[in-house]
Amino acid sequence: MTETTVDLSSCDREQVHLIGAIQPHGALLILEEPSLKIVQASTNCARFLGTPCEELVGQHLDLLLGADPTATISKQLLSKKLNNGFTHLISIPLLGQQDGLVHITGNRVDGFLLLEFERSGTINLSPAYEYSANLQDMIQQLYASPYLLTFLTEVVKQIRVLTDFERVMIYRFAKDGSGEVIAEAKEADLEAYLGLHYPASDVPQPARRLFALSPLRHLPDVDYVPVSLFPEQSPLPEGRPVDLSYSFLRSVSVLHTTYLHNMGTKATLVMPLMKHGHLWGLVSCQHHSQPKYLKYEQRFPLELLSKIISLRIGDLESLDQYSYSSQLKQVNSQLTNEMGHAKNCHEALFMGKTNVLNGIDASGSALMENGKITLLGVTPSEQQINLLIKWLSLQETTILATNCLPHDFPAAEDFSDVASGLLAIRLSRSNLTWVLWFRPELISETHWAGDPNKPVIIDADGQESRLQPRTSFALWKETVRGQSQPWLDCEIEHASKLRQSLLDILFERTDQLLQLNTELEFSNQALNSFVYASFHDLKEPLRGIHNYVELLKLENHESLSEQALKRIETILYLTDRMHHFLEALLQYSHIGNIDEELKPCSINAVVEEITDMLIKSNPYANLTVDIQADMPVVSCNQTGVKVIFQNLMTNALKYNRATEKIITIGCNISNNVPVFFVQDNGIGIPPEFHKYIFQPFKRLHGHKDFGRGSGIGLAITQKAIGRQGGRIWVESEQDQGTRFCFTLTPEPEADQV
Amino acid sequence: MEKLPPLLIVEDSDEDFEVMCWALQKIGFTHPILRAERAETALLRLFPKLPPADSPEPLPCLVLMDLNMPGMNGLEFLEEVSQRQPKLAIPIVVMSTSTNPLDISACYGFGAAGYIIKPFKLEEYLETIRALTLYWFNTVKLPEKNYDEQ
Repeated sequence: MTETTVDLSSCDREQVHLIGAIQPHGALLILEEPSLKIVQASTNCARFLGTPCEELVGQHLDLLLGADPTATISKQLLSKKLNNGFTHLISIPLLGQQDGLVHITGNRVDGFLLLEFERSGTINLSPAYEYSANLQDMIQQLYASPYLLTFLTEVVKQIRVLTDFERVMIYRFAKDGSGEVIAEAKEADLEAYLGLHYPASDVPQPARRLFALSPLRHLPDVDYVPVSLFPEQSPLPEGRPVDLSYSFLRSVSVLHTTYLHNMGTKATLVMPLMKHGHLWGLVSCQHHSQPKYLKYEQRFPLELLSKIISLRIGDLESLDQYSYSSQLKQVNSQLTNEMGHAKNCHEALFMGKTNVLNGIDASGSALMENGKITLLGVTPSEQQINLLIKWLSLQETTILATNCLPHDFPAAEDFSDVASGLLAIRLSRSNLTWVLWFRPELISETHWAGDPNKPVIIDADGQESRLQPRTSFALWKETVRGQSQPWLDCEIEHASKLRQSLLDILFERTDQLLQLNTELEFSNQALNSFVYASFHDLKEPLRGIHNYVELLKLENHESLSEQALKRIETILYLTDRMHHFLEALLQYSHIGNIDEELKPCSINAVVEEITDMLIKSNPYANLTVDIQADMPVVSCNQTGVKVIFQNLMTNALKYNRATEKIITIGCNISNNVPVFFVQDNGIGIPPEFHKYIFQPFKRLHGHKDFGRGSGIGLAITQKAIGRQGGRIWVESEQDQGTRFCFTLTPEPEADQV
Repeated sequence: MEKLPPLLIVEDSDEDFEVMCWALQKIGFTHPILRAERAETALLRLFPKLPPADSPEPLPCLVLMDLNMPGMNGLEFLEEVSQRQPKLAIPIVVMSTSTNPLDISACYGFGAAGYIIKPFKLEEYLETIRALTLYWFNTVKLPEKNYDEQ
């Protein structure tokens, strides 16, 4: 593949490991085993090893190394497998070369032995013990960070100190293969890449596989001239180049170098970060001012370090998640506790010390309970939530978690900025109780860390170059539009547990209510029996007294003085009054217990029946009852209605001194509900007494004035009307007659006078 | 003239019993009157140990009974009678001041032949007793024998 054929779609196809070329900072030999005959050599052997490749090919290795080193290597070849990456075999001075050593590493692949040669560092290295002490210090410092992000921030800082690269970044892969720069240490004047996201295509699949294979990839000079192999023809029978997957010197993809060019990078060093055998992320070091070559001795501790970091990442990630999930657990138990005391979910989840947004990584929350919406944090509008809940209710689920709501529910497009992520639990299907958590769109959350006004690089064809971080970021934005951070398992579990505890409490309450109801019903029954029994027990002796006094009056009136007879009359009057009083009290206590079903009831029929009775029992009263002919039929409790009219009509007659007593009964249907009235031409009630008349046992007159009365008639009437859902009021002036108005059905609130 | 079968009154209150006797006398009731102060005594009267023919006391033809009594009350009495075999042919009429609908339906449920709420006024009481005797002694025919005598 040459530079002229660069094509983005080829990213995933370019087989980087099969490029038959290497970088110039080392030499490569391919040998047969066990003869150790050289079959292919890099074309820089003359400069690097002192012997041209043409002379080396076809020769035995000891021609280059001498007999002893070759014997040492042969011995190692017998015991080592060398099939899992390059392994150090020996470091020796080369024949005929005075200064320095070469490190020789070996790898077996495709049935051949690959040997890589790299020159030892000429820089003066610190003694080994000092070096390892430094490393130990560094590792200790790293281990002091308890959180993943602070740990990684420390890592990039330390690696920068160790290597002197101008930029050190940590790049983390998401599940979808896209990546994000999550830690960065750099020269002050360099553009920051921290927080940048890249689409999955930026690190193509083959590159990711190779990263996972080699503990360290180093590109000392982005502008290197690749060194080819001699002869060009591969020693493999099918002509395929020997697999350089593990090769440290392997040449890199043209796409990769173009990308680095565009970033202004001159040298790179990349180490994979592995977690449970998978590529988790990368440590990426970049040098911008000039090429930078890190020698074997300097790279070696880095490889070690990357392995230590990898291990630590696994630990810290579980630790982070553990502390997050224990935080959620704590919130969960606090909310459950609140619910134990609260009247409803609104009070428990939104009004308490702990609320539904505490602990969880969500920016807003909403509760729909009995048709009412409560909002907290950043949320869609009430109207939008109403739509959302309608949609949710169609989903056959009690818990829903999505990080791409606009995709699942297109109407959510309107509020994707605040709610691309939704976590929802259903508490009740019947009265639509839902608790919702929202997460904003990832793009709205993520900030472009660099300078957004940086000039766009235009390539030779006049097209905006795709191969640079800025355009990568834009591309990534397209792929994640309408998406939020995905919900973690522990968050979904949190919601599900909260739902369970809330439901448990609600169920328990329903149970308690049912039990309370049963107890109440039972105590009502007991009270009812008690009331009857007491009345019976009170009435029995009263009847005895009354009967005896009557007997006395009947049998002995001749022998009794006039005064004695008068006293007997008084006793009879008093016992009679007490009897009436007891009857009224019994009736009052019963009104609340009338359990009749509501039935259509002709008010005219009821009123006529009572009129009949009233006229019969007061034959000399000179009474006229004027009844409106077409009063409506009302759905009501008939016994209650009889009690109401009987009391009102009896009062209308009783408190009346007119020679011709007139009771007018009618109904006004011009309002929402019919308003009935019972009007008389009696003594009237002064306005200042209106507030007392419905109180039980309140009498406005002495017993002698208007006959015996228990003072409870209007209280009974009001109670009976209340049972129907209606209300009663009075319109009256002294000496102007009285008009009682009442309804027998509940009125809409706005209509009440 | 054949001796008239007695009326059994089950009533613990002396005053009530006195007023009832007064009323019966007032309206000219001529049957002999038996009184049981307790329901348990009434049971012995209605279910004698000896065959009725050998019993010194004749069986009553009608029972008037109060509900509220010490010991076995009226309801329990009715329940007991309803469970006895053979069945009692003699009607039992309850007289009480209780207006509790539960009491009333329970009495009929256990086979009471009637339920009378004792009126408060003597005059009304007299009228009720008159109507009662008119019905049971002049309108309907009462059994002459209990079932097990047949």
